[in-house]
Parts: sequence; structure tokens; C-alpha cells
Amino acid sequence: MTGNDLAARLSEAAEVAARHAARTDRAAEFPTEALDALRSTGLLGLLVPTEHGGLGGTARELVTAAEALGRVDMSVGMIFAMHCQQVQAVVRFAGERLRKELLPRIAAGECYLASVTTEAGKGGHLLTAEAQLVDGDGQLTIDRFAPIVTGGSHADGYLITMRSPGADATASEVSLVYAHRDQLTRTPSGDWQPMGMRASHSVALRLTGRVPDHHVIGEQGGFHHIAAQVFGPLAHLGWSAAWLGTAAGALSRVLRLLRSPAGRERFDLGSELLLTRISRARQRLDTVHALLQQSLRTLESGADLAVPARQLQLNALKITAAEECHAAVDDLVTALGLRHGYLQDSPTGLERALRDLRSAALNYSNDRLHLADGRLALRDQGVTFA
Amino acid sequence: MDARFTDMLRPFLKHPGAEPLDLAPDTDLRRLGVDSMQAIELLFTIEDTFGISLPDEDLNDTTFATAGSLWQAIAAQLPGEVTA
Repeated sequence: MTGNDLAARLSEAAEVAARHAARTDRAAEFPTEALDALRSTGLLGLLVPTEHGGLGGTARELVTAAEALGRVDMSVGMIFAMHCQQVQAVVRFAGERLRKELLPRIAAGECYLASVTTEAGKGGHLLTAEAQLVDGDGQLTIDRFAPIVTGGSHADGYLITMRSPGADATASEVSLVYAHRDQLTRTPSGDWQPMGMRASHSVALRLTGRVPDHHVIGEQGGFHHIAAQVFGPLAHLGWSAAWLGTAAGALSRVLRLLRSPAGRERFDLGSELLLTRISRARQRLDTVHALLQQSLRTLESGADLAVPARQLQLNALKITAAEECHAAVDDLVTALGLRHGYLQDSPTGLERALRDLRSAALNYSNDRLHLADGRLALRDQGVTFA
Repeated sequence: MDARFTDMLRPFLKHPGAEPLDLAPDTDLRRLGVDSMQAIELLFTIEDTFGISLPDEDLNDTTFATAGSLWQAIAAQLPGEVTA
């Protein structure tokens, strides 16, 4: 796939996403039109290998795409990044039979994948599971409640973490299993009225159903390996790219307003305070961009990502992107003031960007990552860098 | 694996059954809840119990995979011990 080819697909999808973003935000509705555009442009199959009909894209192209979509609608950027993370788990770890059944459907735009990893009572611990798979007659029975599933009511398929089957399985034996929506009864519950990320429609969901044995992705009990190799790294890269895109889109709209004839009249572009605030916002985004590019190179190197220095870098990317992208937009609100910084109908869109980006530090909480990083840092007394 | 080691290790394991856990060299530590988050607390206890220091490069998933692999890494740091 050429860069132009990807850019054309992204421009089409981003145009649709931009057109509906204000409405889906206000109504807290899933961006169905944008998802349709991601289906028809082939972008849902970005990471599907070409032999299965996909675009054969790389992590670098996922980052490009999430950033481009994030520039117009952070919910769409995050929905896309999370879908791609699921697809990569299937590409890398599903058995041949499931790959042949599922990957062509994803490539054809028929299968938007949602991630089901949250569970009540485990405090966000990705690597433990309470609800257990039950096996018998070549089938696995699923009965699972998840408090937050992004796009939960709109997905065509689900990658679900569950405790492995067997009487002696512990909470640390977690399997990843695929279920198509036809194989499940889906019961959404509760209302979705968040501060931001309103179009992500991340509802609570109960899923019950049965799938064939070969729907287990990787080994039974092998989710920790998929998490370390695919879920963690691609989540941090994809989310950070969407957040950087959101903040970059906001800064770009601000600069266009300031440079417009009306903006030149309204704002004093010689003001040292205004120039400094613009500079601070830009500096924050360059910091995130540099860390994102370096983390991408670390991933592309193929080196073992479990080594503390590499895990610390990928975690630092997530924490830094969450803080700095939010802070950059907050700076811009201060710089522009009430009319263009705070009102919903300003063409700068800062109000929505700020609400959306407030979720970044909470989406796999920065506090939790700092605890992991403190322990990782203690394991690297020499302080090596990836 | 000596008794000092198994006594030290037991409190770190999330054992679901009522019976006391029988620790063998091939006991899978991951399925008993020892993950990279827990490994650092376990490491401190190892170093206090045996008066040794495990090199940073030993602090990987392979070392903490089974009771036997962890014991080997410890034994390698004990003066006059034969790794077995």
C-alpha cells in the first residue's frame, strides 16, 4: 500500500467523521456513519495481511490512521485504534482455521471488533479474570458481564477475556476468545452520559453464548502473552496517536483562526503572552510526537518488549501523551478565552477536544501505570534506555 | 529446592484449593498469580531471606516461570551451592 493510497482512504473516512462529530457528541451516539466509511474504504482491514484480502498495513500505518482520525473526532480515532489492536491479536495468535474464517470478513469491512476486557470487581487488572469458560462437546460457553465495552452495542464481533475452563483454573489463567454477534445474546445496561468520548458509546454489556473450541486465540490461559506482545504495545501506540491527533487538530484550527483576517483583527499576534502560549502547546505536541516515533521504532525493531526499559518507554508514551495532549488543549483554551476557547460552537472545537482528552489519563489509568513503572524501574538499576 | 525457599514462596501464591499446595520444580508460578507486578515484592523477600542479590538480567519471565527456574536463579547466587 502506498502512502497516497492510505492518505486517500483516510481523507474520505475523516471527512465523514468530521461531518457527524458534533451531532454524535451532543447525542452521545455511536458514529455509525464514520464506521460505515471505515468499512467501505477498507480501513477496518488495515492490519489484515493481503493474502486474506486486507491492506497489509503496519503498526506505523495504524499510528498514521489513528492520528488522522483523531484530528477530526477522538472517539472515532479510539474506536479505530482499538479495533486494529483486536485485529492484530487475531493475525498474530489465532489458529489457521479462525484466521481463514475471520480475517477475510474483517478485510471486507463486515466485521468491526470490540474488546471485552473490563470486569466488575477486578479493579482494572487486565491479566486476571473471574467469569470462566465452560467447555464440553467441542464448544465453549460464555457468560460474561463487562462494565465498559467501547462500541459494545455496535460491534460485529468481540474478543473476550475469560478465565480458562477447568475446575482448578486460577484467576491468573486468562484466555482470549472470539465470538461473533450471532453467537451471542447481548444485553446492554445503564445509560451512557459521559463528560467526553461521548460517541464511543462504551456501555455496560452482558454477553452469553457458545462458540466452537477453535475460537480461542493463542493457547488456553495464554492471554498474558498476547497482552504483552500486542494489546499493551498497540494500545499505547494507537491511543497516543489518536490523542496527539486530537490535540494537533485543535492547535491547527486555532492557528487557522488566528491567521484569518477576522482572527488578525480580534487577536494581537504580537502579544508575547499569546505567542508563548502557542509555543507551549506546540512544544507539548512535539514531545509526544517524538516519544511516539521512538516507541514505534522500538516496536519495529522486533526486540523483546518484556524487557523493563522497553516496557517503561511504551508506558511513558501513554502517560506522557495523556498528560501533554490534554495540557496543550487546556493552554489553548486559556490563550483564546471564552468565545473561542470555551463555547461549543467555536470553529476551534477546543471545548469537545478538552472533554475528550480528559479521558486519556483515565483510560487504563495513569496512576496504575505509574505503580507498574515504579516496580519496573526498580528492576533496572543501571537505568538503560530503549 | 530447600524448605527455606518453599516456605518463603508459599505466601506469594494464590492457591485456590483448601489443601496445602505441594510445590514441585515444575509448579507454574504464573497461574498461581506471580506476575511482573508481584515479582518485585517476591524479589525483595528472596534477597532478604537468602542475603543475596539477583542480577537485573535475571529478573525476567523465564526466571519467574516455575518454582524450579526461580530456585536455580537463587541457587546460582548462593555461596558453595550446586545448582540442582
